[in-house]
Amino acid sequence: MNSTKVEQHRNKLRNRRIIVIGGFLTFLYVVVGIQAFYLQVIEGDILSKRASKQYQKSMKCQGKRGAIFDANYRELAISTSVVEVGMHPMDVKSKDEKTILNKHKLSGDIARILNLNQNVLYKKLSSNKKFVWLDRKVTPMRAVTLRSLRLTGFEYDSSYLRVYPYKSLAAQVVGFVGVDGYGLDGLEQHFDDELQGNLRQWTIIKDRMGRIFDRREACSPGYEGNNLILTIDSNIQYIAETALQKSVEENNAKCGLAIVMAPETGAVKAIAHYPTYNPNSFNSFPRDSWRNRSVTDTFEPGSVLKVFLIAAALESGLCDPEMIINCESGQYRIGRNVINDTHSYDFLTVHDVLKYSSNIGSVKIAEIIGAQALYEMLLNFGFGEKTGINCPGEVKGLLRHFQGWKKIDNATISFGQGITVTPIQLITAISAVANHGVLMTPYVVQAITDENGNIIKNFNPSEKRKVIMPETARALMQMMNAVTEPDGTGGQAVPVGYTVCGKTGTAQKINAHGTYRNCEYNGVFVGFSPAQSPELAVLVVIDEPQKHHYGGVVAAPVFREIVHETFNYLNIPPSTPKEQLNVSNGVGEVGA
Amino acid sequence: MFDRRLINYFDWGLLGITFLICVMGLVLLYSAVSVDESAFQISIFYKQIFWYGLGLVIMFFSFVFSYKHLDKWAPVIYICSIILLVCVHLFGKHAGGATRWLAIGPFTFQPSEPIKIALIIILARYFAHNVQKTGITFRRLIIPMVLTAVPFFLVATQPDLGTAGTILLIAGSMAIFAKIDRRTLICSVLVAIVAIPIGWKVLEPYQKERVLTLLAPDRDPLGAGYHIRQSKIAVGSGLAFGKGYMQGTQKKLSFLPEQHTDFIFSVLAEEWGFAGSMFLLFMFLLLIAFALNIAHGCRDSFGTILCVGVSVMIFWQVFINMGMVMGVMPVVGMPLPLISYGGSSVFTIFIGIGLLMNVSMRRFIKQ
Repeated sequence: MNSTKVEQHRNKLRNRRIIVIGGFLTFLYVVVGIQAFYLQVIEGDILSKRASKQYQKSMKCQGKRGAIFDANYRELAISTSVVEVGMHPMDVKSKDEKTILNKHKLSGDIARILNLNQNVLYKKLSSNKKFVWLDRKVTPMRAVTLRSLRLTGFEYDSSYLRVYPYKSLAAQVVGFVGVDGYGLDGLEQHFDDELQGNLRQWTIIKDRMGRIFDRREACSPGYEGNNLILTIDSNIQYIAETALQKSVEENNAKCGLAIVMAPETGAVKAIAHYPTYNPNSFNSFPRDSWRNRSVTDTFEPGSVLKVFLIAAALESGLCDPEMIINCESGQYRIGRNVINDTHSYDFLTVHDVLKYSSNIGSVKIAEIIGAQALYEMLLNFGFGEKTGINCPGEVKGLLRHFQGWKKIDNATISFGQGITVTPIQLITAISAVANHGVLMTPYVVQAITDENGNIIKNFNPSEKRKVIMPETARALMQMMNAVTEPDGTGGQAVPVGYTVCGKTGTAQKINAHGTYRNCEYNGVFVGFSPAQSPELAVLVVIDEPQKHHYGGVVAAPVFREIVHETFNYLNIPPSTPKEQLNVSNGVGEVGA
Repeated sequence: MFDRRLINYFDWGLLGITFLICVMGLVLLYSAVSVDESAFQISIFYKQIFWYGLGLVIMFFSFVFSYKHLDKWAPVIYICSIILLVCVHLFGKHAGGATRWLAIGPFTFQPSEPIKIALIIILARYFAHNVQKTGITFRRLIIPMVLTAVPFFLVATQPDLGTAGTILLIAGSMAIFAKIDRRTLICSVLVAIVAIPIGWKVLEPYQKERVLTLLAPDRDPLGAGYHIRQSKIAVGSGLAFGKGYMQGTQKKLSFLPEQHTDFIFSVLAEEWGFAGSMFLLFMFLLLIAFALNIAHGCRDSFGTILCVGVSVMIFWQVFINMGMVMGVMPVVGMPLPLISYGGSSVFTIFIGIGLLMNVSMRRFIKQ
């Protein structure tokens, strides 16, 4: 009995110990549970991010940028595949473990492959930076050679390089692309959204060894940008640029510009600038040369504006080509100002006012028809408004409202001073004369195609408005044809065997103070050919020629050369000299 | 000899929990080895099923005879186990910087696992014969200390610090349960504190690294801290309910080390989240509660201490393994009982559970 009691007591004590030990073990498990709670619930988000960070890598790639073709599908701008090569200098090791790297030898090898300076490369290789770029425009071939060195620590990203195979040809129109792949100027900028390849982003999963599980091809089809098809014909562009360059150089001019347009459609065939630049290395050329001046810059057109004055005069019904104008023997006073003619004339017909480009005659005609008629006609021809050409940076030019004109303004605007126009406005307006009085919207891009060459958007010729009656246009053409007769101001514009309608202009340039300078002129010639059925309209502006400054001398020969060469190229046969423009026979016969 | 009551008293609850944990282990192992479809990986899964089957047989042999016979056989079992350990040092298989395995035919075997059982039995015998009201004095502790020290050093020099530490923890826990004289207890604690700096010097450099890593996990994220860091990321990114079965990214992309053996808990934590981790932890807690309950119901000291020994063995292994995976314990070689792949570990735990059942079924027998 006693022993049972002792045993019971002992059991009680023992059981207490078991409970204590059980409690202690439970407590330790609770500690483990708390740690699990801490890791999985409290720190869970941080650790989840850390997990995804080490197995996920975000990849981005941009599809290839679309090309820019001329009217004959020649590539004016294309993108080619290149490899961007970078390096983690600390991690550069040989994949064959036994090889010990000699940095001098290695930098020599890499320098040879990538065509870089060995010393610069050696410094990069020895630097303690985490990452350095070596060359971001490596050809795929060279990259393969570099990979064959079996080195770790290099990074190869595929990328594209924008190349302009024709270098400076139509550079101001095409524009260029910056390092980051965005269009910075010209059509490259204006149509950036179309040209830009689609951006594709995806996440890759990699394991501990960095092996990538779902690697896809860097950029599959379907992500390429669209292509532009221009109206510009690189042959005509080349002709225009060559002729322009010759004249600018011969006349020691500051710069020059030429535009070739198909008057019936408003399609621009060439826009030549000189001096020009090479978009493949645009940074080494002055910014001034990047601009497409045909839309961004304005100038005082000078005498070429007389064409539109005469148009207004004929349309008003107050004048006809044979009406006699008193030209005051070369001097005409308006208030305090005196208007001069280069050659003095006593009396000229309206026809001859244009042919000999009499300022006084123009002023007299302007006085007859009044400021409003002139203003409205200029407005109708598209001056003072954007033409709507698909180029970036177009400006309106300056055409003040006629109610603000003083008497002298009315006079000077009649011969093209006190008004500014863009070259594209001028050529478009002249084209309207050649196009039976219908003003077209000029365009340089005729279509957009997708990566397979299917047309996804067409830019058709579009009529803006009817400016003058066909008869008026016909009469103007006859007068403009006379300008290019041997005794007219534009005699030098006529290529052998062809007929030309045109107008010369010589405008003093306005300086920063708003006054005219005696020594700085624009020599301008604008016109179209053949006179019977115009195929091409051409504008030539020579800025600040030094030897001569008359448009008929510096610009007209450029016109002639462009027309001549282009007609050769387009197989447009010369017309017989006898075949002259005859208005009196009516519209129908003229076209034949 | 056969008593019908043995069946009536069979502890079905304990068997049920054991089976449940084993099934969880297989489910986890399948996920852990299915990283790639190579035959080698899948064969691990089938091998583990085989180990479980063999383990059941061993478990059966562990409870058919009365545990009371173990009292007599304890020294023989102990000495045999020690001999096996010595054999490891003499003819052991060297792998991964340590000599822990004995090759028997095509199989390898870790004698450091059964030595735990042998030690539990012999200590249970010793303490049962030396129970004192005021506690065991230092003089009477010398023998159990020697009994513990021999396997401890044999295992620690393999080196296998995890198992060696477990041996100490098991022995210590059993001694404390058996009640130690208060003065002796205080002295031992003081000695232990003094021993820490000495122990530090004895550690191998890589072992020091592991301890330092524990104190400052971001010291060397790609080197010594790698396992801990990745394991913590896996556990943490499981969040409350996990990424889903077979969906663990840490596991799939082989960021996890030893994911089918010592770090299998991180697979569970990643794929089943906090809920899954807690469920398994609760299962182990239930298992230990059952074990302690058996100790509680046992009427003789030997059986009680034996059950406590098995309980603390399972407990400490679970605690150290989970603590290691979650970054609160240094990285040591320590399988998660019943879950981690490995025959030796499975057998040892099954023997332990078999002993628990042995005691449980015979608790009605009074002497």
